Amino acid sequence: MSKHDEKEKQDAGAFGHVTRRGFLKGAGLTAAGAAIMENGLLGAKDAAAAEAEPVVVGPGRVPVTLRVNGTVQKVQVEPRTTLAEALRFELGLTGTKVVCDRGSCSACTVWLDSTPVCSCMTLAVDVGARKITTIEGLAQSEELHPVQEAFIEYDAMQCGFCTPGMIMSCAALLNHKANPTLDDVKQATSGNLCRCGTYPKVFEATLAAAKATRKGGE
Amino acid sequence: MALQQSQQQKPSAAEAKTANTSIPNAARNPSNDEPNKKRNATRREVLPAGIVGTEGMNTVEREIPADEPPALKVNSSLAVIGRSTPRLDGRLKVTGKARYTADVRLPGMLFAQVVTSRYPHARIRSIDTSLAERAPGVRAVYVLDRVLGNAELRDKSKELPAKFPIVRFAGQPIAAVAATTQAEADDAARLFKVEYEPLPFVVDEDEARKKDAPLVFPGAADQGGTAGGGGGPQGVTQEGNVRGPVKSGPRGRPAGDINRGFAEAEVTVEGEFRTQVQTHSALETHGVVADWKEDGLTVYASTQGTSSVRDEFAAIFKLKKSQVRVVTEFMGGGFGAKFGAGNVGVIAAQLSKKAGAPVRLMLTRKDEHLSVGNRPSSIQKLRVGAKRDGTLTAIHLFSYGTAGTGTGAGAGGPAQNMYKCPNILTEEADVFTHAGPAAAFRAPGHPQGCFALEQTIDELAEKLGIDPVALRDRIDESPARREERRLGAERIGWSRRRRAGSDTGPVKRGLGVAQSIWYRFVNMDSACEVRVTQDGSVEILSGVQDIGGGIRTVLAQVVAEELGLKASDITVRIGDTAYPAGPASGGSVTTGSITPAARNAAFKVKQQFLEEVASALGTMPEYLKLGGGQVAVFDRNPNWSDGDRQGRSYKAAPIKSLSFRQAASRLKTEQIAARASRSDDYEKSRATYGGVQFAEVAVDTETGVIKVERVVAVHDCGRPMNPLTVESQINGGVLQGISYALYEDRILDRNTGLMVNPNLEQYKIVGSRETPRIEAILIEEYTGRSSTDAGGIGEPATIPTAAAVANAVYNATGVRVREMPMTPARVLAALQSARGKGGVRS
Amino acid sequence: MNRFEWTDAATVHEAISQLNGRAVVKAGGVDLLDRLKEGLEAPQRLVNIRNIRGLDRIEEGKDGLRIGPLVTLARLSEDKLVLERYTALAQAAGRAATPQIRNMATAGGNLLQRPRCWYFRQEEFHCRRKGGERCFALDGENQYHAIFDNQLCAIVHPSALAVPLMAFGARVVLTGSKGAREVELERFFVTPEQDIMRENIIAPDELITEIKVPRLQPATRSFYIKQGEKESFDWPVADVCAVLQTKGNVCLKASIVLGAAAPVPWRASKAEASLAGKVINEQSAREAARLSMEGATPLAQNRYKLAVFEAIVRRAILRQASS
Repeated sequence: MSKHDEKEKQDAGAFGHVTRRGFLKGAGLTAAGAAIMENGLLGAKDAAAAEAEPVVVGPGRVPVTLRVNGTVQKVQVEPRTTLAEALRFELGLTGTKVVCDRGSCSACTVWLDSTPVCSCMTLAVDVGARKITTIEGLAQSEELHPVQEAFIEYDAMQCGFCTPGMIMSCAALLNHKANPTLDDVKQATSGNLCRCGTYPKVFEATLAAAKATRKGGE
Repeated sequence: MALQQSQQQKPSAAEAKTANTSIPNAARNPSNDEPNKKRNATRREVLPAGIVGTEGMNTVEREIPADEPPALKVNSSLAVIGRSTPRLDGRLKVTGKARYTADVRLPGMLFAQVVTSRYPHARIRSIDTSLAERAPGVRAVYVLDRVLGNAELRDKSKELPAKFPIVRFAGQPIAAVAATTQAEADDAARLFKVEYEPLPFVVDEDEARKKDAPLVFPGAADQGGTAGGGGGPQGVTQEGNVRGPVKSGPRGRPAGDINRGFAEAEVTVEGEFRTQVQTHSALETHGVVADWKEDGLTVYASTQGTSSVRDEFAAIFKLKKSQVRVVTEFMGGGFGAKFGAGNVGVIAAQLSKKAGAPVRLMLTRKDEHLSVGNRPSSIQKLRVGAKRDGTLTAIHLFSYGTAGTGTGAGAGGPAQNMYKCPNILTEEADVFTHAGPAAAFRAPGHPQGCFALEQTIDELAEKLGIDPVALRDRIDESPARREERRLGAERIGWSRRRRAGSDTGPVKRGLGVAQSIWYRFVNMDSACEVRVTQDGSVEILSGVQDIGGGIRTVLAQVVAEELGLKASDITVRIGDTAYPAGPASGGSVTTGSITPAARNAAFKVKQQFLEEVASALGTMPEYLKLGGGQVAVFDRNPNWSDGDRQGRSYKAAPIKSLSFRQAASRLKTEQIAARASRSDDYEKSRATYGGVQFAEVAVDTETGVIKVERVVAVHDCGRPMNPLTVESQINGGVLQGISYALYEDRILDRNTGLMVNPNLEQYKIVGSRETPRIEAILIEEYTGRSSTDAGGIGEPATIPTAAAVANAVYNATGVRVREMPMTPARVLAALQSARGKGGVRS
Repeated sequence: MNRFEWTDAATVHEAISQLNGRAVVKAGGVDLLDRLKEGLEAPQRLVNIRNIRGLDRIEEGKDGLRIGPLVTLARLSEDKLVLERYTALAQAAGRAATPQIRNMATAGGNLLQRPRCWYFRQEEFHCRRKGGERCFALDGENQYHAIFDNQLCAIVHPSALAVPLMAFGARVVLTGSKGAREVELERFFVTPEQDIMRENIIAPDELITEIKVPRLQPATRSFYIKQGEKESFDWPVADVCAVLQTKGNVCLKASIVLGAAAPVPWRASKAEASLAGKVINEQSAREAARLSMEGATPLAQNRYKLAVFEAIVRRAILRQASS
């Protein structure tokens, strides 16, 4: 089991199973009059009430809680605000890039729990309790992720604008496949567009990072 | 500044301006840093010359400015230069901390959005901004009174006066709005009421050539030489939408007499080749954050030229250049279209001025495709005559293409300059269409030109029964390419190459080769300052920007080499016009232009450093030697190792050694600094760069899909400064070439003139799964032209790829695909047509 | 993107009670956000169904496979059961879009996504499918458009999953305010002649609540081929699913459906008929492939698609003979 999976499990324990209320709490939506408890579930009465009357928020700004890179962040966003916009403009996490703004280039890739998604095609209000990992949160404080190290060593970047998304794709690959093939890396990055044409070195770097990680783990 | 202008950038078309191998503009503005008397003092210096590993490797003696450093040895004898060095800014890039223009956030910053035309040709009757002005969050609106980028009528009276600029392409900016959030700006942009009078339009270059075609300009027009790049020669005759053709040849004028050349020819090959419009599609769109203040304008720009952006802003807003500061810490890709303020910059600055707050304007992906440049199309009729032994007797190219509302669609460079031929004529015409203006794009004209020329040479080889590599050995005089052909042929296994169309199954494999030619340009506006501080820290400052080529790291290498330090010891501050002027990064000039200035500045500061340290130590500067982070103190000049008068030979031995930092602490003042500007090249004769690429492809003749499986790319760039990043640029050149060859196409709807694929989904760019195995091989070529003898690689690396792929496709299938992109539709059509003629086995 | 309200539905009932023309369903959200960003639609409210429990299961029962509409393409492509038994479905899911999008996009959303026609997708083109007067593709840029049933509107149906699902004879369960109904996928999609403004029969207040794939007959194998211009993110120029029931090397029954061919997933009936009772070999596969294109009415720029289809139909058939 990878380090990431383990962490995952612990976190799942902390937040508990997501129920309707749990979800609402996770989503951090505070509708008028519907107070959100910090911990645990709401009483049955509230749950029943919620069932009867759907909680509608927006179109103006609503408070949303995002779990980003191990921190809990409260932001005020419109329902139409994408996660990419919330990260970049509300939280100043500009490592996540927006390039096509339509899910075609994966420059905006972040992880929701451990799954890479396009943050430009995800609404901030829809993240819920899922933990967001951005490029800024990949390194453990000063120590870079092996993929980041390898990207530097192998020069898997030119202008660098695709690099955060590319790294999030490659690091996600290593999370579930410790021993990837070249084809696996190509597959994992098949949504990531690099206009400078750095793919060969992305492949090299990712395979080298996998190798280094395996060695380190032995 | 005309740095990127396709016609001007080719030596052939601008012989007079490029004869001194300097950028024309720069040549007119020699640096004033040096006192005149000093500039004239020279000395003789022996420098390495030739290609390492070949018989031609030798030395050359040059007259060089007296204050410049001694000759730099070949890379194998150096400690830092020429060694693969990971980028100094790698950590910032991989952690997401690198700050790009799109990431800049200033206090009170507003967000802007542009209103663009949805018609390709129209007069605007009225623009009602009132609803937008009242929209939530809106702080300023702006209606454009001038559009940059389009060509302009020589005689303005040929067109009825108009209150607003005439719309000449769909996507032309009309107005803009700034608001407190991007969403509010986007919402408000939809509230402008623009009343159009649509006019007839033409978006197809063949239609546009017709006599009765709607006119893009009702008279002759020239594309102003804005810093935005693009543009052909001025003052060319124009009829209807057709401008030119401009007749040219290897030295600006046609060479010899092609009629005589074809009469002498024993074999003639000819063909028509078509290439599409390609958009730059840099991942970071054109954009700025403009901060207008009483005392001046600060602009954060996604640009390839901090200085060229400043110059255009100063000119447009009538500011002193010193009042405009342009900053580019990191930029997300530039391939020739990011040099000026452009409409984007002007809009943001106007809005900032009106709103009294900084304004951020990053173009949408759609606008990026439509309005800020592209590679022009080409339709090339190429005819080549030769003797039976391969000797060329005549080359004639007639080409036309569309740069939209701009000019500069020529494709003649390779035909003019690649091969030895006594009779060469190129005729290049621009065809105006109602489409976004072209801009310089990675080797303007050359990938197009090579697609035609290199396929034609391939055909000639086949017709003559000579191997394509062997034929080039006969007709190509470049020693670098000769060596590159040798190395590349060996690496790819050229001897495996079979007769065209040898495979019998549906998937056919083949090998192809094509060559690149590019030219040495130097931008004289290249200056650096190097500082050494008492704590031992070293900084280099220059306005030059790193567009991804890695100049930040190379500058550190140069300074480190001179001071005996590691590249990572050097702090590099670049991308800001507050620093000494740096060159714009276009024409593959950056490394060749700025590194000599960096070395010269480092050398100067080193001299002062040694003097002061020697004085503090009570010795002579000549007795000190820098290296390995140390200052070694000798009892005599360590460079004299040939013995004393008595004939006793001995080596000087260091008496003691201080760390660089310890030595620096002995400086008299807190900081010493030296500045150097680019001096002229030591040798001014014309120089070219090139490369040879070999491609191996698999063609599925049933689906028409071409898969490039392997590319061997052998290139020269003078002295390779950082092989690691040079390789990256070669990979990038190859991949952009494959993308151009097979996928990319700006498609305009014939009935409405709108682009149907202004996104990154249907505008198709090569991806990971289409990436072949790429082997980049560098040769080391010295020509003794500057204190670093570095050249460029960005453009040469992309020039031959499409042609090499096309030749490999021919070798695989026995069928030529003469039109790009080589999509399944075109490949199947070519195969079908050949089958009709009984030309292909399936 | 316009401003809209947002609500999370906890149950199917809660979702459908809110749905009307102005409140629309959001599941994975990929296609919806694209339409909103392009300004094609401006709903008043998004009803998020992504968190409704129980709609994300993959189960095999007596009657066959049941797929919840919220199952992502990524899960479908990696699910062991699907991979082994309903291979073509996993293949289609795994070849669609990008890895990131497959992590977000749902099976239901894939079936319901709107056309990718580049005229339809741009606000500037008011085409017939948006209530306008003309199909811009017919005399415009139609290299990726339909080669069948393309007289009124030349879109191709965009769903990758629809191709194998229809070949498997799948049904969808639609749940609305008036209850649930089960519809064969074949009858779910509508042609431009039937209704040019829509691609299927789902009502504004209905959700797909289940996708049912009937139990496969013994010795049935399936194969899906997508042919794009690129292998990395690209839409198909042509895609095909062939489901063949065999005895030895003889084909008992063939089901062949083409994607990117017509405004609906296109059943190649003549090709299917030609294979029944035949030995599967190069000759019979070639004949079936030829028949699959019979009746095609290519437009000015998409005739090449016929050759591509013929190649991949033949290959898909032959893959089963060899497997």
